[in-house]
Amino acid sequence: MKRIFERIIEFALIVCGTITTLVILLMVIFLFKEGTGFFRNSMVEKGYALCVQEENPVDELTSAQIKQIFDYEIENWNELGGNNEAITPFRLEEIFNRYPEEEWGENYELLPGKLEEIINETPGIIAFLPVQYLPKAKILHDEHLLPDDFFAGSEWIPTATPAPQFGLLPLLMGTLWVSFFAILIALPLGLGVAIYLSELAGARMRQFLKPAIELLAGIPSVVYGFFGLVVLVPLLQKSLHLPVGETALAGSLILAVMALPTIITLAEDAMRNTPQAIREASLGLGANHWQTIYRVVIPYSISGISAAVVLGIGRAIGETMAVLMVTGNAAVIPHSLFDPVRTIPATIAAELGEAPAGGAHYQALFLLGCILFIITMLISITAEFISKRQPNGLG
Amino acid sequence: MAIMQKKTEQKIAFTFFRSLSLVVVAILFWILGFIIYNGAGVIDWEFLTTAPSDGMTGGGIFPAIAGTLYLILGSSMVAFPLGILSAVYTSEYAGNGYIIRFIRIMTNNLSGIPSIIFGLFGMALFVNTLEFGDSIIAGSFTLGLLTLPLVIRTTEEALRAIPDTFRIGSLALGATQLQTIRRITMPMAFPNIITGLILSIGRVSGETAPILFTVAAYFLPKLPQSIFDQVMALPYHLYVIATSGTDLEATRPIAYGTALVLIIIVLLMNLLASFLRKKFRKL
Amino acid sequence: MTKQFILSTVILLTSLTSMEAQKIKGSDTVLPLSQKEAENYMKEHPSQTVVVTGGGSGVGLSALIEGTTDIAQSSRKIKFDERQKIQAGGQTIQEVIIAYDALVIIVHPQNRVANLTREQLEGIFTGKITNWKEVGGDDLKIVPYSRETSSGTYEFFKESVLKNRNYKSGILSMPATGAIVQSVSQTRGAIGYIGLAYINKHVKAIHVSYDKGKTFTAPSIVAAKNGKYPVVRPLLYYYLTKSEKQVRPFINYVLSPEGQKTVSATGFIPL
Repeated sequence: MKRIFERIIEFALIVCGTITTLVILLMVIFLFKEGTGFFRNSMVEKGYALCVQEENPVDELTSAQIKQIFDYEIENWNELGGNNEAITPFRLEEIFNRYPEEEWGENYELLPGKLEEIINETPGIIAFLPVQYLPKAKILHDEHLLPDDFFAGSEWIPTATPAPQFGLLPLLMGTLWVSFFAILIALPLGLGVAIYLSELAGARMRQFLKPAIELLAGIPSVVYGFFGLVVLVPLLQKSLHLPVGETALAGSLILAVMALPTIITLAEDAMRNTPQAIREASLGLGANHWQTIYRVVIPYSISGISAAVVLGIGRAIGETMAVLMVTGNAAVIPHSLFDPVRTIPATIAAELGEAPAGGAHYQALFLLGCILFIITMLISITAEFISKRQPNGLG
Repeated sequence: MAIMQKKTEQKIAFTFFRSLSLVVVAILFWILGFIIYNGAGVIDWEFLTTAPSDGMTGGGIFPAIAGTLYLILGSSMVAFPLGILSAVYTSEYAGNGYIIRFIRIMTNNLSGIPSIIFGLFGMALFVNTLEFGDSIIAGSFTLGLLTLPLVIRTTEEALRAIPDTFRIGSLALGATQLQTIRRITMPMAFPNIITGLILSIGRVSGETAPILFTVAAYFLPKLPQSIFDQVMALPYHLYVIATSGTDLEATRPIAYGTALVLIIIVLLMNLLASFLRKKFRKL
Repeated sequence: MTKQFILSTVILLTSLTSMEAQKIKGSDTVLPLSQKEAENYMKEHPSQTVVVTGGGSGVGLSALIEGTTDIAQSSRKIKFDERQKIQAGGQTIQEVIIAYDALVIIVHPQNRVANLTREQLEGIFTGKITNWKEVGGDDLKIVPYSRETSSGTYEFFKESVLKNRNYKSGILSMPATGAIVQSVSQTRGAIGYIGLAYINKHVKAIHVSYDKGKTFTAPSIVAAKNGKYPVVRPLLYYYLTKSEKQVRPFINYVLSPEGQKTVSATGFIPL
């Protein structure tokens, strides 16, 4: 009886272990399945096509060209390899101004005819129409979204019609930019505190500092964001006379504070692991305390310290709410610390709710998720790799 | 001369590190002080027990507190049993095979994955594919998954800290492996496991990104009637009243109050964890 | 474990028997209005539950299509393809105008510019005009603030003011209107667009002209009602015809004189 019971429990344990693994795998598969589905979408919004006159020699356009045409930035077909003819962009809604509703028929069955009339009347037309009402006209070849459009695209306008722009670059650059400066700020601060905690602080100071740092790690990111929004942003704007308060700088400062506990805790652990014998040897040779720290303890624990920094970067890259609230979310490749930026996590948080499930936008956000996932994975693997390296470099 | 110079160098360096530590503490006190200063006057019994009113400019945050408690409860139901049992399996039963190593690497890396990705996954799987809709159950599963690696890791660490001699001794006395786990390893690891669980609760109560698309409601003054209902939650509530609302000035005090309540919850969890840690250490 | 299982089963069973709540989801512009209406409605009918969630007009309508909400609140008309999607699912949709809203262009109170034409606004928000001195102000960089792309306000502004052109790439986007008000009140060179209800003394409303600068009109409830102020849009509720019975009592309440009083009190324009 007891044996059977034992078997059952054992089995339950195995099941739990398996479930956990499955869930993790499922997560990865799900993310990548949705994400890679992005490239099966076509350039023009789903259910729509672009039509031109039969005589128009242009066969296909890039996604960026379509956007520029409908923004009236490209105004002549000869810029696109066509005839010298002014381009007239046309959207379906405009037909509602031209013909009264009665003329479309009960279920819009007269619509294609009307559209054909319009297309024939207007030589340079490019019409953006739903596929079920396509008239007899030349339909531009509709490419799938290319990896180039995504990975090398420099504009993120996911709801632009007819051709949404899904350019990764501004978001990726924004994320890296904010995180880079966050670490630049957090690194000296974090290392200093770690050295103080592991080498200098007395027991009482430690008892006070350790919980303080734990608390710093425990404050929810939305509280940091709120603090940034009401205190930091106006403060930076006033004291530095910035044209905009919501900048990469505000994001970096908040992220630096949020990454501090990770860096401090891990770096301190690494330094404390320095064997007492090595320290004593150094002190015995006549080095003072400070020399021992920077000649012996730091080189000895350098791999642990680097791992701490790498994980700190990971923490900063993935942070969502605080960044969403203070960086201004402008999808533009940043050139200075005082530019607003839009990060990958903030983009997902701000746009996922709006994107209809299964559409190109939804899948683009999953693709962003995949990229974020890969970046953080790489970071964890790097950190693990670094911290496993045997300390050498004792010079 | 050289020694003197080194001494001054050391003095400068140490003063520098000490002041850096003070800077970090000062930052903490600045943030906490600001929130407490502005929020303390807002919190009273009514604020904690009534629903928002007058277009979010009046009333309290009771539904959000209740919602957060529901989510803590729900996610604990998902993460605690699954996480603890998985950890027991990986550290006590399974050897060092490929599968176990794989699980360990995965859970290790999972803890570094940003919370927004859990939100993404939770929305795709629980809300859309399994058709739970925005609901407590979808939010609890998402938050549960988020804390799963944390629970697994702390449990594993707690188990690993117990010297093998205890296990070998118990087994040598004729106890089965299960008996060893139940009578020896688990009781010994319990304090550390509990601390880990409490800290994970603190984390759940403050997470916003995973609940954005899985459970959070802007305004729902009544308590949920089933696990398929939406709820308000403290962190999301803070986010919306900090950024929206027609009269920001009138909503600000409530935002301060909400932030303070959130911080108090996290503070309580941290205090509880360190209290337990100390208490068990004495035993 | 067993205890939890029983508990969750019990919760599940009770959930099947209890009344379903009405969910309203969508536009952040309509959000404060729906929230107040729901608050008052539930005060009068304590047995009813109305859940209000934001996210943007696009979110609400796609939730309606997916069946995860009962009413979609929207600050723009339903799009052609959204209507098509609903018809493809074999459903019909009902539209109710619950109020009107004027879109107000706001700047920092110290900004000297008081009047702008539609064409100037288009230039500013598409990035062709970048300095205030080009429109008669100080030599100061223009910082345009926009809403997130899911918002109906974003779409309506793009349609009405930008004539369907895209915003300049890299425009600052705020997750909610309240944040725009705050940012504009802090930023000297800022310009943004908000609903009439959100206006306060820390920002200045621009007088707008849609006739190439002949007449400039200040935004107000009166000017919006008599058609003088050009940037006015309806605020709408959408629901599926099959759920008419369930949602109609609440919608009727919103349309009643009492409900319309709340409309004015929230700063929108009653029917």
